[in-house]
Amino acid sequence: MIRSLKIAALLAFTSVTKGNFRIALLTMLILILVALNLLFVPGLLDGLVWGANDKLVNTYSSDLLVESDGASHYIPSVDLFIADIEKIEGVEAVTARNYLGAEIDFEGKYLGAAVYGVHPDRERTVFTIADYIIEGSYLDEDDVDTVLIGAQIAGADMPELEMYARSLQNVHAGDRISITYTNGIEKEYIVKGIFHSEFIQTDLQAFVTDKEFQTIAPLLANNASTIYIKTSKGADTEAIIDQILGTESGVKVTTWEDHAGLVHSMTSSFKIIEVIMNVVNLLVAGITIFIITYIDVAHRKRQIGIQRAIGITPASITLSYVIRAIFYSIVALALAMLIYKFGIIPLEARYPFHFPFGDVFLRMIPFVLIRTALMLFAVSIISALLPVYGVMRTKIINAIWG
Amino acid sequence: MIKVQKLTKIYDMGKVKVKALDGVSFNVVNGDMLAIMGKSGSGKSTLLRQMGLLDLPTTGRIFLGRYEVTKLAESTRAGLRLKYLGYVFQEYALLGELTAHQNVYLPGMMLNNKGKDYKKRAAELLKLVGLGKRVHHYPKELSGGEQQRVAIARALINSPKVLLADEPCANLDTISSGLVMETLARLNQDMKVTIIFVSHDPSDKQYASHILTLADGKIISEDGGPA
Repeated sequence: MIRSLKIAALLAFTSVTKGNFRIALLTMLILILVALNLLFVPGLLDGLVWGANDKLVNTYSSDLLVESDGASHYIPSVDLFIADIEKIEGVEAVTARNYLGAEIDFEGKYLGAAVYGVHPDRERTVFTIADYIIEGSYLDEDDVDTVLIGAQIAGADMPELEMYARSLQNVHAGDRISITYTNGIEKEYIVKGIFHSEFIQTDLQAFVTDKEFQTIAPLLANNASTIYIKTSKGADTEAIIDQILGTESGVKVTTWEDHAGLVHSMTSSFKIIEVIMNVVNLLVAGITIFIITYIDVAHRKRQIGIQRAIGITPASITLSYVIRAIFYSIVALALAMLIYKFGIIPLEARYPFHFPFGDVFLRMIPFVLIRTALMLFAVSIISALLPVYGVMRTKIINAIWG
Repeated sequence: MIKVQKLTKIYDMGKVKVKALDGVSFNVVNGDMLAIMGKSGSGKSTLLRQMGLLDLPTTGRIFLGRYEVTKLAESTRAGLRLKYLGYVFQEYALLGELTAHQNVYLPGMMLNNKGKDYKKRAAELLKLVGLGKRVHHYPKELSGGEQQRVAIARALINSPKVLLADEPCANLDTISSGLVMETLARLNQDMKVTIIFVSHDPSDKQYASHILTLADGKIISEDGGPA
């Protein structure tokens, strides 16, 4: 076996270094393109999924949500509860919100929306909505009579918005809007700021400070409809949930995935698309590599015949083609990785693909890299083996003299 | 000793069947230098390929020592080719991607168990055939005669009992042909290797101790050889 390997290695090495340069170059180029395709498609789809999930977590759901599980829709004594939650290992930040349904009016146009009472300072630690202000500014802790609204509510003269037609269409920071809450209170607010996170569910929200909210619903002081928790990276979510449930009865804890909804169905579809595209890519790659190897082997049929005639075993000859295929795959994969990491990813980062929930950035995932390498090796080896096997079945004299 | 008994080879060319060998029988003793002569299409190369275990006859038997090689499986025949036979092709048949040295020691690697002995022996054989200074040249850098001598060195790497050469001088000029034939004759005399060569050049008879002449797949004359 070692002898066969040594001979195969010698034949493979000389075939790579002294063989037909154009065939080697063509094979390598095809393999690089296949590897790039196998890296790019999952990288893009993963970037899409990651981008959608990131927006969901950082602007809409946070990592964990605590809600009342009882008859009341509100969690009482929320200050004390938050203090307890903050002590749990793995919890990075906590904020609580109350909300009321409302109708928002502006110059004869109106729409229904949820208005949330929030603690701006805490909000900034859990959500990144403050980073998406496109007009005016974010709320301050002591603000009253002002409201922060999402772009899908304001419209802000941006007809390219998905929900522009049902929005207030031309509300801008500084404008006065009227809000009628479901408890019957109607109040006029100055729009302090408009945010556009590009995550539709988020941009359909309106926020007032908790101080303002207490003037609208004084009975809900120190109550919360939902507590939002940001966990640290790598935190044990299950352990955190167990500890929260152990601290307070009558609450339920859900994860961001439970609130993914549309994003979840979208990511599932992307995964199916990814599988289909990978299969198609591999088939195309396999057939292409097979054709190139077949031509190469046909060109070398006489050489293979001579090798067999002088006593080189079929195993050694076949192994030499396998080694060559693996060598080409390794070099092609390495080059594809370098092109992807130092060429395509930075270029895409400069000119990112824009999707409805924002810019999508290509990603390089170790698992995908390993999977790509294995798939490429498998396709290359099979594509090399089949034509060589065909020549091995030919009589020696036919291989040499045709 | 090689025994060839009633060897027939028929090539099936679709509608036409071509009888390349027609009941050929003869013996070759150890140390013989057999020339298989005849015109083009007489069946010389076909006969040599059967004896070199590169092809199977349609009928008849070949004995290599006490083994009837026509009945053996291809893997066993491959082993016999490697251990007992050396084959020199008409068109040199060197591997273009290997140096002269590598071409010679490659079959040696298949058998040799002692580290790099085959490399040393390959270098010695190249020196023996007069190519001691062309060891690291690639086939394309060698003349036809030099390539054929590399092929002879390669055929000798595993110290074969029998060396078969299929028109080894067919593509060579007179001087190169002389060098190649003298090399074969020297190997036969000095190393006692049984040599069987095919030629259509009557002048090559001078190197042979035993001459078979074929015509239309049949032996029409046999000179010398075992009694």
